[in-house]
Amino acid sequence: MAASRGRRLLWHGRRWFSQTESAVPPRPPDSLYPPIVASATAKSKAAKRRRLEHFNQRVHAAASIEEKLRLYGQLQRPKYMLYPQTFALNADRWYRSFTKTVFVPGLPPRAALAAAKAPGAVAPEAAKTSEGPAGVAPEAAKAPEPGTAAPGAAKSPELAAGAAPYLDMGELRSLACDALLQESFYQNKKRPFLYRDQDHTPGPFLTQLVSTLAAFLCGRNPLLAASSLDLKPEVNYYWHHGEEVVVHGHRKGRVDPVRFQIDDNPHLQIRVPKQLPEIVPLESDLGDVPVIDHKPSKLPLFKKQYENKVFIGSKVADPCCYGHTQFHLIPDKLKRERFVRMNLEDQIEVLYRANGIASLFAWTAAQAMYQGFWNEADVTRPFVSQAVVTDGKYFAFFCYQLNTLALTVETIQNNPRKNICWGTDSKPLYDVVEDGSVKGFNDEVLLQLVRFLLNRPKDL
Amino acid sequence: VFQGVRQAQWLTKTKLVEGLPPSVLSIVDNPAHQLEDQEEGVKRAISHARLWDTTEVAPRREHYCPVLFEDLMHLCRLMSVKYPSLAKRMLARNYKISATWERESILLQVRGLNGILMNSMAPIPPVASKEEILATEEHVLETFHPISPTIDLQEVNVYKELNDTGKSSSFRDGYPYSHPHTLFFLESANIRPNRFRPEQLRAKMLMFAFGNALAKAKVLYGNDPKVLEQPIVVQSVGTDGQLFQFMVFQLNTTDLVSSDGIKNLVWIDSDQNLYEKAQCIPEVKKRVVTKPAGIYGFQPDTFKKFLALYLHGTV
Repeated sequence: MAASRGRRLLWHGRRWFSQTESAVPPRPPDSLYPPIVASATAKSKAAKRRRLEHFNQRVHAAASIEEKLRLYGQLQRPKYMLYPQTFALNADRWYRSFTKTVFVPGLPPRAALAAAKAPGAVAPEAAKTSEGPAGVAPEAAKAPEPGTAAPGAAKSPELAAGAAPYLDMGELRSLACDALLQESFYQNKKRPFLYRDQDHTPGPFLTQLVSTLAAFLCGRNPLLAASSLDLKPEVNYYWHHGEEVVVHGHRKGRVDPVRFQIDDNPHLQIRVPKQLPEIVPLESDLGDVPVIDHKPSKLPLFKKQYENKVFIGSKVADPCCYGHTQFHLIPDKLKRERFVRMNLEDQIEVLYRANGIASLFAWTAAQAMYQGFWNEADVTRPFVSQAVVTDGKYFAFFCYQLNTLALTVETIQNNPRKNICWGTDSKPLYDVVEDGSVKGFNDEVLLQLVRFLLNRPKDL
Repeated sequence: VFQGVRQAQWLTKTKLVEGLPPSVLSIVDNPAHQLEDQEEGVKRAISHARLWDTTEVAPRREHYCPVLFEDLMHLCRLMSVKYPSLAKRMLARNYKISATWERESILLQVRGLNGILMNSMAPIPPVASKEEILATEEHVLETFHPISPTIDLQEVNVYKELNDTGKSSSFRDGYPYSHPHTLFFLESANIRPNRFRPEQLRAKMLMFAFGNALAKAKVLYGNDPKVLEQPIVVQSVGTDGQLFQFMVFQLNTTDLVSSDGIKNLVWIDSDQNLYEKAQCIPEVKKRVVTKPAGIYGFQPDTFKKFLALYLHGTV
């Protein structure tokens, strides 16, 4: 029947405008007649509202998370592809406006986690506990200079039983230096392929460093013992934000949501079965989200139509469904020398920030969708993840807290929550590697990396 | 390599022993050398590699074989909580080896990219006792006359006899992790003809383990052929994502020209299945789910042997 076929065609969100508006007079609930509601297939705003309602109900009532994700990304339309690693100028402002993120420079102050994580902080604790147990006090450990890390692991391991285990900076430094030296100096490799310098040395170095550090630290962080390490995983997220008028084509003149898709490939990723604790409460307001009046295509961003994917790195059935840390490697065509040559030194930090914000937003939002939240069912607890963006020598650290997924036109109106991203500038880990030794090793950067890896929920 | 392991044995002057050596088997049986929730962890690793790691329905072998290897290595590395000296290991990917030797007036060379090598700071202690080594003297290498032992080997002109893990080829001098510990071979080609069959994979593992051990021996003891005081042990693991081959090779002598005298020893444990089948989509017959998705036929012993080879030399 033509009518039923037409109904089925119209059901999937085709919008046809008409002049008539159907009224809905109130009726007593015990009426013999079914309730009078707006038509579902007419070319009217009320009909469009009703179709949207129906779609939202279908997604809310989906049987499983896979079904929900399938319905969420069912309709394929041209969408903007966001690249976390981009050469666009001031991309981090644009990305912050697309994802409703506030950027706070510097990392969030952690409540001193057992106060023994920094070797400088262990000094006052060791001094206190040495007075407790009488008798033998190995002088190597109990002669600390507060604030300085004794190089070469001079602290003796037999601290008093009350002190939490300390971190051996010398051991960690030697691990990092060994990984670096092996990849850059000791192992004889062929010359790097053209424009593939990053795959030759910094890529393997990062993999080695993270895997050995994770194995070394899993005694202190039981979350790492249950974690899953992915090499070159895929992270995707699809969302709507804002509105625009369709410019050309058979749908010209209609008002459409602006669709975005991030397809990210971090170099390395650690996923854990338990969620990281929140950094600030859900409703906190730490700054402003930039408002950009231009169309997203001015960034430049380009549209394409393909599958709307939401993926954290593995499927929904995986028990390690929360993210811990991502590691991103800056590719060759975005290296620092290129920016310096084009007189764009300030854009170097913009690149790192844009990468951190976009990748972490995609990852945390995909994790939230895996738990059943979406833009009509906003998150009830914040999702936290970390990222390290590096080009092999310079490291920048980012921390992201997702407070809201509601970014569409309807849901953003009464939504005071904002997502928050903390981040540092890029600092070098070392100065130069020559003759089998690493010159100018920076302990601060390594310590920050170790702190990131040791992050865990409070009850573990 | 035509005859597989038998040909490799003749070329490297090796005697074969079935099964793993007793020192490794003792690590397998020792419950102290196991992770907590080891079975759960391994099952999770297999499910991750075979089922969950991709946006497509089922990952291909090129994708899941390395992922499975990385996950198993991640699990093994977690053992360094109990044994801190395990942190003194370093993986070298894309590793090149070349070693040359003479065998009954035929000059042989092993060269090329051979997978992933794990190096350690301390060498593995010799696995066979002195008596066993002396007993190999009576063992006669099997030849397969009239087939020449060099069948199926590529003949090249060797201009430089490169012989190293230490000199110009793979690693420079002063490398702290100087002892080759284990070689890993991942047969991850998608199409079956592109993969090595188990017999050939074992032969390849033997040749490369021998090459590494020989290069290390030449670095330590010089180029003269002789019987080694301290035999060098190199292990090898080969897999195609489901089937595992384990091998422990002990180099007793670098005197390879003649076919008499002390031979080298190799212990091979072949065709160990880690699981029988990984079902990505549930099998449905006549609208009824007969086989839900998941991993079937999991064998915990295979991972125990993998872990034992990893821990060998440190515990």
